Amino acid sequence: MKNKVRSTRLPAYIAAYGLVAIMLIPIIWMFWVSFKPINSIVTVIGELLTPPYTMESYVRVQESSMIWRWTINSVIVGVIQTAGTLLLSSLAAFAISRIPFKGKTFIFLLILAGLMVPVEATIVPLYEMIVQLGWVNSYPALILPGIALPLGVLILKQFYDGIPNDLMEAAKIDGANLLRIWWSIFLPLSRTSMAALAIFIFVQSWNNFLWPLLVANDQSMMTLPVAIPTFQSSFTTDLTVPMAANVLASIPALIFFLIFQKQIIKGIAMTGIK
Amino acid sequence: MQKLTDVEANDIQKKEMRLSKIKKREIWKTNLTAWLFLLPFVLLYLIFMVYPIVEGFIISLTTGGFGGDREFVGLSNYMTMLTDVYFWEALWNTVLFVLISTPSIVVLGLLMALLVNMGLKGTTFIRAAFFVPYMLSISVMASIFVFIFQPYTGLLNEILRSIGLIDGEIFWLGETALAWMSILIATLWWTVGFNMVLFLAGLQDISEEWYEAADMDGANAWQKFWHITLPSLRGVLTLVVILQSVASFKLFGQPWLMTGGGPGTSTRPLVQYIYELGFRNWNPGYASAVSYVLFLVMMIFAFIQYKLLIKKED
Repeated sequence: MKNKVRSTRLPAYIAAYGLVAIMLIPIIWMFWVSFKPINSIVTVIGELLTPPYTMESYVRVQESSMIWRWTINSVIVGVIQTAGTLLLSSLAAFAISRIPFKGKTFIFLLILAGLMVPVEATIVPLYEMIVQLGWVNSYPALILPGIALPLGVLILKQFYDGIPNDLMEAAKIDGANLLRIWWSIFLPLSRTSMAALAIFIFVQSWNNFLWPLLVANDQSMMTLPVAIPTFQSSFTTDLTVPMAANVLASIPALIFFLIFQKQIIKGIAMTGIK
Repeated sequence: MQKLTDVEANDIQKKEMRLSKIKKREIWKTNLTAWLFLLPFVLLYLIFMVYPIVEGFIISLTTGGFGGDREFVGLSNYMTMLTDVYFWEALWNTVLFVLISTPSIVVLGLLMALLVNMGLKGTTFIRAAFFVPYMLSISVMASIFVFIFQPYTGLLNEILRSIGLIDGEIFWLGETALAWMSILIATLWWTVGFNMVLFLAGLQDISEEWYEAADMDGANAWQKFWHITLPSLRGVLTLVVILQSVASFKLFGQPWLMTGGGPGTSTRPLVQYIYELGFRNWNPGYASAVSYVLFLVMMIFAFIQYKLLIKKED
């Protein structure tokens, strides 16, 4: 019996680890190439696998690019966008879920309709607005258009709807106003949903490409996804320096993933499924 | 019952009026509070979402450059589109990509989720390996794959040569069909982990008892998959198909960074065409019109899928 189970599992093991190899080889290759001497031949696998190895590509990236500035820009945009989206959508979701007011259905439907609108379809008017505001190459241009995220309101509203009313009534009797109730009851209770949403927003923001490509054309205001191809375009034959730039651009996200792997996967599942 | 005197009746009326006044003030106060809670979100939403949608349509009815000085031309931009071969090519390219990428990602994502869910040795590692490419930014992903696919110095040709499958060069990014295949492979590699996670969540919601009951009936693995797993995943399947086709309609970065839309314009999707019309040819009117068509096509597609997949559920 045990043997039978094992034999049916062998193809699964082959498939699983075969796929693991396919998924990891490009990443391993990126790291490997980045440690070869600049201009060395990295296409012959035999040469790739034998020393010498060096850090000179990394030194070159730091000397000839603004890699730290781009990383900081990406972090600033990601963090503010995430925090802003969480704060604003949580306030809005609280009002829609718990306060009776005129026009509630209308506002909720208006926000839901936004779920259907891709940013890609509104880039022309958005860009024109940014130009008129004089915001090209600025943080507000990179950050603000992404903050009013309908998905955030939807997810948090669903969560708030499930919080029992007694909690709110009890707090009201104790004389707490709505802002206080939101802050000291709803926010702490929705920690898990908020964390899931935060991870989802941050990953999206970190990888956002089209919008920063439009509004950040000054090197010092670029985020990593826009800056990396710009930097690499001046290297036509050498692979080591571009790969070192790729590694440096990926390290923050990879470390983040290694530490918060469980939460990230849970967060994606929760945010996606709701 | 005692009859109320006029004075008493008058008193009660006054009290009621006062009460209703207080009530009204209370309602007014609640309304105000609600709107204060909503204000920051709604303000940004109106400026960066509602206004661009309306303004985009108005721009699509005009001709001229950015920043004012535009002339109203009615639906002429939309008429131009009808005979614009580049528009039809880009639309076809986009639809083609949606049609090939969605099923591939669903099948591969589901397969990965099933493998992770089997409880093999090293499951945590397997799951992490499947997901980790999604953490790379699109530019890093594209850069790696350009170097993998490129001729003479690319990794893929080198591997194929060393195992004797080819002896010349294959121009992966230089021929239309191969370029699409390369874009598809890169996209699959990059995003399949995201879809795997959604499937995995769906799989873990299926009750173990159903499988146990099937075991007692002597069902084989395939029967269990076909009669228990797949029907239970219908909700997640709908979600993945819709999310993936929406993402594929928005295709831009992969061809932009890997092929530049080439060879020629044969891998140029709609979003890239919009980008080039607007920000290369400085023709915001026409670019907006194409944006509106993209938006419309996406809505129709989402609607059809929703209807089809929801109907199956009944």
